Amino acid sequence: MDGVSYQRFPKVKIREMKDDYLKFELRETDASIANALRRVMIAEVPTIAIDLVEIEGNSSVLNDEFIAHRLGLIPLTSERAMGMRFSRDCDACDGDGQCEYCSVEFHLHVRCDTDQTLDVTSYDLRSSDPSVVPVDVAQHSESTGYDASEQRGIIIVKLRRGQELRLRAIARKGIGKDHAKWSPAATVTFMYEPEIHINEDLMETLTLDEKRDWIESSPTKVFGLDPNTHQVVVVDPEAYTYDDEVIKKAEAMGKPGLVEIYAKEDSFIFTVESTGAIKASQLVVNAIEVLKQKLDVVRPSEETEEADDQFGELGAHMRGG
Amino acid sequence: MEHGSSKDLTASTFSLADEDHTLANSVRFTLNQDPRVTFCGYSIPHPSDARVNIRVQTTGDPAKEVLKDALQDLMIMCQHVRSTFDNAVAEFRTSKTVEDMKIK
Repeated sequence: MDGVSYQRFPKVKIREMKDDYLKFELRETDASIANALRRVMIAEVPTIAIDLVEIEGNSSVLNDEFIAHRLGLIPLTSERAMGMRFSRDCDACDGDGQCEYCSVEFHLHVRCDTDQTLDVTSYDLRSSDPSVVPVDVAQHSESTGYDASEQRGIIIVKLRRGQELRLRAIARKGIGKDHAKWSPAATVTFMYEPEIHINEDLMETLTLDEKRDWIESSPTKVFGLDPNTHQVVVVDPEAYTYDDEVIKKAEAMGKPGLVEIYAKEDSFIFTVESTGAIKASQLVVNAIEVLKQKLDVVRPSEETEEADDQFGELGAHMRGG
Repeated sequence: MEHGSSKDLTASTFSLADEDHTLANSVRFTLNQDPRVTFCGYSIPHPSDARVNIRVQTTGDPAKEVLKDALQDLMIMCQHVRSTFDNAVAEFRTSKTVEDMKIK
């Protein structure tokens, strides 16, 4: 009954790992699985973001809605998000979204009293929960190469003398599918691993200048020349963008079949960049958990078959086979 | 989830609400791996409805059971990736600390 025999168990290898960046290999699986993982990472892993803003006073140059929108886009540290409730199905506050299980409150009160323009930044937001705070960009400055002294948080608005901004904001759990501000991913991409075969015999019929010319035809640096043997070697197979330029060049030179390039259809190289809301490695783990939850939801509800007439036209269509 | 029942249990269309390509495409792939499945495909009838229809036809087993097995297989696979990933992260961290110590 159980069909484990045809099941495959993917392999994982980490290439590079930083808090907000991750590169890993996923082998022995299918594009549908890799794509499901990518889609979940972008649109269905929950984070926390400001969702409701009550402006108490705003004499800045930006209007209330504009500021509320900018606040929503500020990434907040969201390690808590997986365990939090969506405010729409929180029974502690009847979906009000104002209780500790489903929301975090922020306050901001800034007034400019100098002749110098004052920047209101994400650092000015006061959180009610120390675990949910605006992502500290400066903390990562060492790894990303920013000058730490330049970092002043994320600017919300600038104030001149006499202007003031006072507000209360409610942050809630959400997913990227509802609004991109909840997406924990800056970019998630995967590529097939290329398999490059150089026809050595045919390659040796080329002169040195022809070889150089051919290597130059690739827009990315995939091939190189061995300085000692003058042989063409593959420098970086992953730099290949499946652009077919080298193949076209070989044909133009009258040497078709000089190189053969295949995409290994069961090996994927993932690149994950996080907004800082959750660590990149945690993002992958959360994505798998979300995918598992989705599968779990489908299974039990299968028992609750509904009558054909509820489908209307679709039911009739299905009865027809 | 809804299930269009009929006399012939070996061929069914399952309609999943609030799902999209993420789930449907991977389920379709897993089902197509199963030798008991003669046909499997999915469609999103309308782009603004959050709903997918998955069609399953089998060689004789009830389509519902085959779908259940496919979901179970995917679940096991997810669990496997999760543990392999955790191991890979742990392994990377240890190798990283060893490397750092060498530099110092």
